[in-house]
Amino acid sequence: MKKSTLILIILTVFLLGMFLLSCAPLGPAFQKTDAIPENMGLVYIYRPSKGFGSGVAYEVKANGVLITKLHNGGYYPYFTLPGETEFSAKTETKSAVTIDVKAGETYYVKGSIRLGLIVGRPRLLVVSPEVAESEIIKCKLIQERK
Amino acid sequence: MIKGKGNWCRKASQFYLTISLSSILLLCGCAAKMAVTPEVNQMNHVDFQIKGKILYEGNKEYLPRTITEGAVPGDGISFQYTYEAIYGEHDIPDIVAWVNPLHLAGFPTGENTLIIRGKLDILKGKELIKSYTATCGLEKTRSLFWEGETYSSLRKKGLIAVRDNIEAQMKQDRDFLYKLPIGN
Repeated sequence: MKKSTLILIILTVFLLGMFLLSCAPLGPAFQKTDAIPENMGLVYIYRPSKGFGSGVAYEVKANGVLITKLHNGGYYPYFTLPGETEFSAKTETKSAVTIDVKAGETYYVKGSIRLGLIVGRPRLLVVSPEVAESEIIKCKLIQERK
Repeated sequence: MIKGKGNWCRKASQFYLTISLSSILLLCGCAAKMAVTPEVNQMNHVDFQIKGKILYEGNKEYLPRTITEGAVPGDGISFQYTYEAIYGEHDIPDIVAWVNPLHLAGFPTGENTLIIRGKLDILKGKELIKSYTATCGLEKTRSLFWEGETYSSLRKKGLIAVRDNIEAQMKQDRDFLYKLPIGN
């Protein structure tokens, strides 16, 4: 086998692998949850679909406990008890935001990916409902949990 | 032979010195900037407190320490503390960060901003007697080599700075606050 053919096969397998890894387990399009359980708050974690870094998904933790893996174009509704909750994500760097959750209230945490040295860096940001509601509508439910 | 070794050591120490100084300069430029308004003389320690009913459900650490929960018969004094956090970020497009050699040298690729506003209302029954506000603006830059503090960390710094500022404002009004119906 020629060396160039071998390189081509390796490259194809690598790209195919990357493509399969990037296939996110996304479900139905965004639907607003009206029923928030009593004495709980709701935090939507979402990541608008972008071309750059779309193959990189990262885990999101709430107070250090894994809640979901945030894929490109996905969202995840997270119900939590009132109080300060830190949402964090990490690849080569860490991003974290803290929300003082109140019962019956809805909050939005927007995820994105930015340029890194070796791998894309996660970015979490607390956004207002006005901004979030126009972006999350294009996202799909992340069905995979943990 | 000895002379050669000496030269090598000198060059190595110069190299490490250059690297260390460059790192210090880069890291100094990346430290978060913070500004709090209004400008007041900070209190070294909290040496007075006024009592009343506290209307606040958040983390007690962020509550001004100049107020404390106390019995409030009838239309006594109550304190309502609220705060808000406004997040922002500015980024240089990734493609620019990739091709601009300055970014590869450690120049900022973007910045995070956070504004914390705190407000303490002192009420007698439903009547507003006095209101204290403070605003803290925080800004930190990022580079390819330095991400800096998280928003969680900035938020905590901002909330504590706002708390300290309100405490200092209250200290300036100490005489007025002591004259409140149930004030100390």
